[in-house]
Amino acid sequence: MKTTCIIVEDIQIAADFLRKFCEKSDLVEVKGHFLNVADALEFLDREKVDLLFLDVEMPGATGFDLLDSLTYSPKIILTTSKTEYAFDAFQYHVNDYLKKPFTYKRFLEAIHKLQQQTQLQEPTPAPQQLSIAPPPPSDTDFLFIKAEDKLVKLKKDDILFLESMRDYVKFVTSAKSYITYSTLKNMEEKLIGPTFLKVHRSYIVNINKIDDIRGNTIYLLGNQIPIGKGHKEEVTIRLNIL
Amino acid sequence: MQKIRPAFVFDDSLNAAFLAELFEGDTIYAETVFEDFLKDLPVYWQRVEAAYNSKNLYVLGTSVHTCKTLFGYVGFTDLQEQCQQFENKCSVNNAEELRVDYILLIQRKEKAQHIIEKEYNRLRLFNEGKG
Repeated sequence: MKTTCIIVEDIQIAADFLRKFCEKSDLVEVKGHFLNVADALEFLDREKVDLLFLDVEMPGATGFDLLDSLTYSPKIILTTSKTEYAFDAFQYHVNDYLKKPFTYKRFLEAIHKLQQQTQLQEPTPAPQQLSIAPPPPSDTDFLFIKAEDKLVKLKKDDILFLESMRDYVKFVTSAKSYITYSTLKNMEEKLIGPTFLKVHRSYIVNINKIDDIRGNTIYLLGNQIPIGKGHKEEVTIRLNIL
Repeated sequence: MQKIRPAFVFDDSLNAAFLAELFEGDTIYAETVFEDFLKDLPVYWQRVEAAYNSKNLYVLGTSVHTCKTLFGYVGFTDLQEQCQQFENKCSVNNAEELRVDYILLIQRKEKAQHIIEKEYNRLRLFNEGKG
């Protein structure tokens, strides 16, 4: 099966080369090309892809801004002509880094490396598949998160909101913030219920803590949380906005 | 006896080894890229000029960065280096201090554009079997 990808790149020649390389390889299917981060995020809200070819410097927001806003963890290949971003790339756990302009040979190396990484991550199937039922949803009023080298117990009532930081999630309480290695999607599943609501691709809020809403912004104990376009309708319904 | 057509040889001022690897002998695609370069560069360069005239060094740096990438796709790897140095200076110097570098960059860009125009025409003729 082909790896699905999108290209986020403001220079048309560079994007054309990438598309050509993807087609030539017959390993990667291009689902779209976006000239800026906002358009790419709008697409990713509707459709998930396996891989992002991501430029760093683009008008408006940078490739790293996009990584900060992602709510899942696709593979990332940074494509930039600046080597200075290598350190940031490492910090963001990107899978590879292609310095523009790059050749088809270099492109293929990156794709093969990615495939090898994926194979290593895939668990070996057990000889006999047992049907294991998923655990029942938790109905406790607390949860434990790994943070600060320990398991921290958080009362759900104390949580103000959660913020996505790509592979990490920030839990904000009135007293303190905690960062844990997880995705917002994962947390969304754990916090399913009447109290928590996803209001933006990067935010889940505790609806009991909301002070007021002005325009597309939720105010919550001094914090301002944006309401995403795609979440507005659900927010209106869940918050009984008349 | 069938004649073997010699391969297209790029201008000396371009990084021919890199272009050979980039295009892998596909001169039709090279023609397209050179044509796109000639269309895109003036658009991007306008941003460079506007940023320099308004002394917006942040935008100047990012605009030169874009042009730098474009130069790479047509084999001006040495000009990429010059752009990179200019880009770096944008974050530490003021507009007045950049004046000489800016003039030098314009001169190099004009020369590069002229070379690519010539190379594009040569590629076109080559692909039509006339080169």
